[in-house]
Amino acid sequence: MLVQELLNAVLIGGIYAAIGIGFSLVYGVMNLLNLVHGAIIMLAGYVTYSLFARLGLDPFLSIPVTMGAFFVVGYGLQRFVINRILTASVFMSLILTYGIDLVIVNIVLLVWKTDLLAVTPSYAGASWAIGGLVVSKIRVAIFVVSAALTALMYVFLDGTRTGRAIRAAALDKEAAELVGVDTPGIYAVTYGLSSALAAAAGSMLATIYTLTPTLDGIYLGKAFVVAVLGGLGNITGAAVGGLVLSFAESLGVVVLGPSYQEIIGFGIFLVVLILRPYGLVGRRFYAEI
Amino acid sequence: MTPDALLAIERLDVAYGEIQVLWEVDLEIARGEVVALLGPNGAGKTTLLRAVAGLLRPRAGRIVWDGAPLDGVPASRVVARGLALVPEGRRLFAGMTVAENLTMGAYRRTDGRAAVSADLEWVFELFPELAARRRQQAGALSGGEQQMCAIGRGLMTKPRLLMLDELSLGLSPVAVDRIVAMLAAAHRTRGMAMLIVEQDVRMALELARRAYILETGRITRGDEARRLIDDPRVKKAYLGL
Repeated sequence: MLVQELLNAVLIGGIYAAIGIGFSLVYGVMNLLNLVHGAIIMLAGYVTYSLFARLGLDPFLSIPVTMGAFFVVGYGLQRFVINRILTASVFMSLILTYGIDLVIVNIVLLVWKTDLLAVTPSYAGASWAIGGLVVSKIRVAIFVVSAALTALMYVFLDGTRTGRAIRAAALDKEAAELVGVDTPGIYAVTYGLSSALAAAAGSMLATIYTLTPTLDGIYLGKAFVVAVLGGLGNITGAAVGGLVLSFAESLGVVVLGPSYQEIIGFGIFLVVLILRPYGLVGRRFYAEI
Repeated sequence: MTPDALLAIERLDVAYGEIQVLWEVDLEIARGEVVALLGPNGAGKTTLLRAVAGLLRPRAGRIVWDGAPLDGVPASRVVARGLALVPEGRRLFAGMTVAENLTMGAYRRTDGRAAVSADLEWVFELFPELAARRRQQAGALSGGEQQMCAIGRGLMTKPRLLMLDELSLGLSPVAVDRIVAMLAAAHRTRGMAMLIVEQDVRMALELARRAYILETGRITRGDEARRLIDDPRVKKAYLGL
C-alpha cells in the first residue's frame, strides 16, 4: 500500500513540476504572480476533451496542438495586455490576472457547460502488474512526457540565445536592456512558454482527472505551492517542489486518509513560507535558474 | 556642432517626473575621442549617461548619434547602434557564468559567430583574470574582476562609444590602475571613443583628452584635460590640492 502510493507520488510529481516551473518562471522573470496559470491548465484540458470527443484525437497527440495554441495565446496576452501593467503596483497585476482567470472560467462555462467530462482513450485503465504493484500505463506516460518537457525547458533556458536573454532579463532587467535585450518581447516569450507547459499539463491531466469548471483554482494552488516550495523564481527548485508536494500528498493520504490530501500540501507550504521563504533548495541571494 | 562629431548632445533637459536633473546640457564627442565627465555627487552625471543609453527619455533637447537622432530610441536598440554603457555598480548577471555574461554582450550583434568568438578571446587576452574564471558565476568574482567582466561585456557589444560610469567605485587603487591600463590598451587596439564618468578625477584626466564639468545639472566647463589639471579652481575642488 505504502509502496504503491509512493510510486503514484513519483509519477504525479513530474506533472506537478511541469506546472510549477512555468508559474515560477513567470514570477522569476517579470515578478508577476500569474493567477491565470490554473485556468490555462483547465482550458487546455477542455480543448483536449473536444479534440478527443469530436475528432478522435488521442490526448497525448493533442499536446503539441494545445502547447502551440497556448504559446500563441500566452504570448499575445503578455505582449498586449499584461506588459502594460507590469510597472504598476502588485495589486494591479493580481486584479488583472484574476480577471483573465474569470474570463476563461466563463468561456469554459459557456462552451462546455458544467457537466463533468472525462477523456477516456482505450488505454485509460491499462496497467502493468509488477511484483504486486499496479503501474498505470497512462501515469507512466504522463511522467515521461512531463520529465521530457521539463528537461527541454532547462536545455532551452541554458543553451539558447533566447533562453539566455530570458535569464538575463530575470536577473537584471536594465542590464539586459543595455546589452540589447528587448524585455517586453522576452516577457511575452516567457509567458508563452509558461502557458505552453501549462497546456501540456492540462492535456495530460484531463486523462486522469474529471474536467470541471472549478479546476482552475485547484491547479493554481498546486502551481503556487510547488513554486514556493522550490523558491519562487527558481526553476530547479520548482522541479524538486513538484516531487515534494506529490510525496507529501501521497503520504498524507496513507497516514491520515484521503480527505487530508490538500491540507498536507498547504501545511507544508505554510511551514516553508515561515522557515525558508526562499524555498527548500533556494539560496538567499542568487537568483538562479 | 562639429560636422564629424560621433555624439552630439544639444540643450538636453532630463527630469524624473517633476524633478528636473539636467538643464540645457551640450556635449560633443568625436570619433575615437576619450572624454571625461566630472562633477560632484548628485550633479547628474549618471542621469546624463542613462539618457544617452536610452534608459531615460529626455524632456527636451537632442541627442544626435553619427548624424541621426537618438532620443526616444529604447536602450535595447541604442546598443545595437554602437553605444555601450557599463553601468554604475557593474550590474553583472550574478547567476550566470563569466563567459555567459560576456556572451550576453554580443546579444545584438549580427556580424557572425566567428567575429563574436574572436572578440571573446580578445577580451580574455585583455583580462587574463577572467579567462581563468570563465566557468565561474559572476557573482562570486572579486570587485575588480567584476568590473573587468562588466567592461568586457561592454566591449563585446563592439561599441563605437563606450560609456563607463564610476568604474573605480569600491575598488582598490591597484585594481583601478590595472583596469585603466587595460582600458587604454583596448582603446589603442579598437580605437573606440570613450566617455568616462569618474569620482577619481586624477585617473579620469589621465585617460581623457578632454573633459566636461557638470555641476547641479549644468555643464559649467569643457576644456582640454591638461588645462583642467592645471586650473587652480579644478585642483582645489576636484583634486583636493
